[in-house]
Amino acid sequence: MSTQQSLYTRVTQNRWTGLAVGIIITVILLVLPLVSDPFTNQTISRILVFAVAVLGLNIVMGYAGQVSLGQVFFVGIGAYAAAITIESDWAAALGPDLLLLVLAVALALAIVLPGVAGVIIGMAALRLRGLALALVTIALPIIGVPLLKRFEITGGSEGMSARFIPRTDTFPYQDQIQYFAILAISAVMFALAYFLVRGKYGRAFAIVKENEAIAASMGISPYGYKVLAFTVAAIYGGVAGFLYVVAIQFVSPDVMGFGHSIELVIATIVGGAGSIVGSLLGGAFYVLIPQLTNAVGATGYTPIVQGIIILLVLFLLPGGLASLPRVIRRLVRRRRRQGDSDGEGDGASASAPPNHPEREAIQ
Amino acid sequence: MNQLATFIQLIIDGLAQGSLYAALALAIVLVNQATGLVNFAQGGMAVLGAYIGLTASNLVTPVVGLFAGITIGIIVAVAASFGIGALIERFVMRRFMGAEVDTQVVVTIGLFTFIGGFIGIVWGFNYIPYPFYISGNESFTVLGVSISVWSITTFVTIMALMIVLQLLFRGTKLGLGLRAVSDNSDSAALSGIRVGRMLMIGWGLAAALGTVAGVLLAAKAQLYPDNFDGILVYALAAVIIGGLDSPIGAVLAAWVIAIVESLVGVYVPFIGHDLKVIVPFVFLFAVLIIKPQGLFGRRQVVRV
Repeated sequence: MSTQQSLYTRVTQNRWTGLAVGIIITVILLVLPLVSDPFTNQTISRILVFAVAVLGLNIVMGYAGQVSLGQVFFVGIGAYAAAITIESDWAAALGPDLLLLVLAVALALAIVLPGVAGVIIGMAALRLRGLALALVTIALPIIGVPLLKRFEITGGSEGMSARFIPRTDTFPYQDQIQYFAILAISAVMFALAYFLVRGKYGRAFAIVKENEAIAASMGISPYGYKVLAFTVAAIYGGVAGFLYVVAIQFVSPDVMGFGHSIELVIATIVGGAGSIVGSLLGGAFYVLIPQLTNAVGATGYTPIVQGIIILLVLFLLPGGLASLPRVIRRLVRRRRRQGDSDGEGDGASASAPPNHPEREAIQ
Repeated sequence: MNQLATFIQLIIDGLAQGSLYAALALAIVLVNQATGLVNFAQGGMAVLGAYIGLTASNLVTPVVGLFAGITIGIIVAVAASFGIGALIERFVMRRFMGAEVDTQVVVTIGLFTFIGGFIGIVWGFNYIPYPFYISGNESFTVLGVSISVWSITTFVTIMALMIVLQLLFRGTKLGLGLRAVSDNSDSAALSGIRVGRMLMIGWGLAAALGTVAGVLLAAKAQLYPDNFDGILVYALAAVIIGGLDSPIGAVLAAWVIAIVESLVGVYVPFIGHDLKVIVPFVFLFAVLIIKPQGLFGRRQVVRV
């Protein structure tokens, strides 16, 4: 009886704390940009941009269990699709009155092109089991960068700027407009991901990740769902690319750099594989670590800081930063159980609730 | 005649460059056979070994002279990377032995980033010439074909190493143990083989092999932290094309990739030098679609 009650209170407490945290984050995201300086707004915008890219990577890595090392390739496709559309002749012909139409076309292309590329690459790479996706996708940035540098339409090595808001003093609030556009689109992407991973497809991903043979015996095609997860990830990458152009208004082949690709994987795991909130934390990690090392004048230390953090997280916190509250809660409960040896101890010994499957990777 | 000479020269250069890919690909196959995982830090470990060798060589050269200094540098590089490989297996990878494959991959990616950052901090991000017996652009002419000494050295060295490895695996007790562990580590353990030690040796051998390639590359193109990032990708392409469980397949694929790349770079003007990187990957996709287990790989039978 007492065990059920403690479980019950724990769940309600969770829900309320979750709701409270959600409201606080929403309020901060809505109000902060109105009062803070453009640099802060730019930073939050970029965190949201890369959170969307990390969220996509999380769908294929965290939920479907396939390592992709080429997410940045799709970010690049999305960014260039958007930039080329915005700078195209017909966009100029339409003029500033139809800016929203141009942006809608740019977004549509930033969804469709990476999606098509994702299906084709996924269908080829995922024919091999195991690590095939990692082995193939690691090549994507290596191919992508020279391709971008080669062709004229991409502006070659210099890249291209994609201005759709005039950068003048007569036009204030530019950073806020960019920010709220990015916030709105990334909020939609996060909501879609939430429903995707909690619905039928999310369950199928989980089964495929757990055991492909069981999935196949249940009539779930592991191949089909892995290709689907990879394609969804590619689309998220493309949208992140579009948002990148909204935030930065400039692209260069550097967006597809090999290092960035690796950093996105690290950000996904550090934030928390298989966690929606973790993707947001991963985006923050991706943007803030280089900013932090820059601020203390140690730019060269960025890779080693990232390397140390990912190794520490893998050793100590396999669920990523998103699992930190859960781990702390468990530690507190264990402490309390040691404190009084009877009564509530029973409830705590049931340990992790079944809807939070722990990844007991290290033992 | 002149055209033929160019062609032969391109083939020889391709074979030398392909031998570098092959060494790294072999290291990846070696680790994969023993542990079933792909070590994405293999290139970084090779470069780290080369840097350690560079420091050792620079330290002793004033005392023992250039030739002995270079030799000591190479020995130190190989020995140090053997040790580093073994230590990484023992203190990092072993903690993740039972973990999911994606976790293990991310661990090696973390190592890759860490090693790259470590090199940058200790040795800086500049190109450093690597002291070697020959310079990278020395060459001699046979029947109108200009052949670089580096190409011949690289090819011969990697060939010799492969023969030594083959002898080790087929003809010694240690090799038998390594093969037993990669075949079935549970039954190897039951027959009294110390699996942990074998895994450490396997990782050490792979790291040492990679470092030989690292030194040879540095001798030609100088040393910098990202030396092997591109080559790692070629090696992985070779591993997929050749089959993850086939050392010979990986080596052959590495040569084919490098030769095709070298020829395309010169004979197909549209692709040229800057885009030739896409050639192996077009090839790779073709292989994945036609024969997903690799050209020489064993077909995995999946029963449901």
